[in-house]
Amino acid sequence: MLFKAIIVGLIAVFARIDSRMLGRLNFERPLITCTLVGLFLGDVKVGLLVGAQMEMVSLGFMSIGASGFDMNMGSIAGCALVILTGAKIETALAIATPMTLLITLIETAASVVRISMTHMIDNYVDKSEYKKAKLVDIFWGPMLYAVCTFVPVFMAVYLGADVINAIVNAVPQFVLDGITLGANLVAFFGFAMLLSVMINKKNAIFFFFGFAIAAYSGLSLTAIAIISIIMAVLFYQIKYGDGSLQLSSNGQADDYDELEDDLDD
Amino acid sequence: MSQKGLEAQRNYPLHKKVREFFWGGWCMQTNWNYERQMNTAFMWGISNTLDRLYPEPEEDEKKKERYRASLEFFNITPQFGAFVLGLTAAMEEEYAEKPDTFDPKMITSVKTALMGPLSGVGDSLFQGTVRIIAMSIGISLAQQGSILGPILAMLISFAVSFPITWFGAKLGYTKGQELIRQISESNLMDKLMYGCSVAGLMVVGGMAATLVNVTTPLTYGKTLVVQEILDGIMPKMLPLALTGLMYYLVKKGVHPIVIVIACFVVGIILNYFGILAAA
Repeated sequence: MLFKAIIVGLIAVFARIDSRMLGRLNFERPLITCTLVGLFLGDVKVGLLVGAQMEMVSLGFMSIGASGFDMNMGSIAGCALVILTGAKIETALAIATPMTLLITLIETAASVVRISMTHMIDNYVDKSEYKKAKLVDIFWGPMLYAVCTFVPVFMAVYLGADVINAIVNAVPQFVLDGITLGANLVAFFGFAMLLSVMINKKNAIFFFFGFAIAAYSGLSLTAIAIISIIMAVLFYQIKYGDGSLQLSSNGQADDYDELEDDLDD
Repeated sequence: MSQKGLEAQRNYPLHKKVREFFWGGWCMQTNWNYERQMNTAFMWGISNTLDRLYPEPEEDEKKKERYRASLEFFNITPQFGAFVLGLTAAMEEEYAEKPDTFDPKMITSVKTALMGPLSGVGDSLFQGTVRIIAMSIGISLAQQGSILGPILAMLISFAVSFPITWFGAKLGYTKGQELIRQISESNLMDKLMYGCSVAGLMVVGGMAATLVNVTTPLTYGKTLVVQEILDGIMPKMLPLALTGLMYYLVKKGVHPIVIVIACFVVGIILNYFGILAAA
């Protein structure tokens, strides 16, 4: 168990480093990390299913700047415990949520440390000790993230299995079902967060467009994704293209310019 | 004065410089802090350029001044950070060459001016569009038990992220200033945002209709099944309504943690009384 907990902790560290030193390549997403957990703990199938489930719930969550609220680390611990205890897949959600809150708390504490690390770097630069200043940023910065990720995930997996078994046996079925419903509600919250970043009065129609196609046709999300890319190119050409697809211009100034260009030709 | 440094910087191979900006971009969040956000990572990304430009001990004051300038507030989508680093390096070179005529405040103001628009486009592109498209495809495959799901999701993510960071770094360094002028003249940012928002919003619409479902088990007597009535009006009506409700809460500025906890509490209650159910 010790060895497995260390492995899972290291997967969590890798996932954290993804957004720190790999420009957020998406290794941190539950779909990827849970598959990795499944691979290392010897149950890829459950890893994939938990990953898909957790990814659906948290797909909308966007990590912009300070609001570091994500279920990525909680998903890793949840997936590992589901595999290790043989609990139902839905249990991963019930584990991931309190883990997420705990890790958000730890991260808030760590962010205070990082402000003082920033001041350390200022001081090193003042003293012309540039190498030390760089080292704080590129080594101790990620190190702090790694420790703050490894410890809670490792502890949860190492100590959690018995606790989880006890809780799962004690908690009535209706609560577990309710948690599944709650997780679905959280997913809608995620969609709303994505919307709030992108939507405005002019483009809101595309949200309903995508919804209507999916709701009435029953096409898979892969199909919707491909259609949406085609639509994006198409509407881009209608709006900005110079070919025959161009409908009417938005402003009179644009019309005027085009006329001028024609005259120049 | 700094002729030696300038020569060293100019003779340093281009692909090695681009590599520095590339990793500087990807490592943009190593020390994310509430005070100046990504400032120390920006310093790390530009530091080798500054070290080369000011090698002599008597230039230390100048070097320190430039290091301090690099530690000002900074925030960017990491992939676009490489572009800004390349552009800054080109401007630092210009300043080292003409310290009397080139105003170093220009460097800070260009950096600051780029943060907002580049992050706006960057977050919409990477997190709002590429990520959700890659993960949507990945989820559909993973649910069928195929390990191709996560693999494909990562391939898509990498195939967008890597070239944009690499060529962004190169373009930023070689013709950054010219490019910025062109971008602002051609409204490229607005156009990119538009394309991203069309694809992103359509996928989010599709997600709301397919990814998770909530139904109501409510019935009145034997004949009146509420869910059937709702489906008769429009399929997936409850998911649409719930997305709208959540959007309202997000716009109201309710704290995410409050919403998440409320979701689970409300979920348990509504499920217990048979008003809503996960489907």
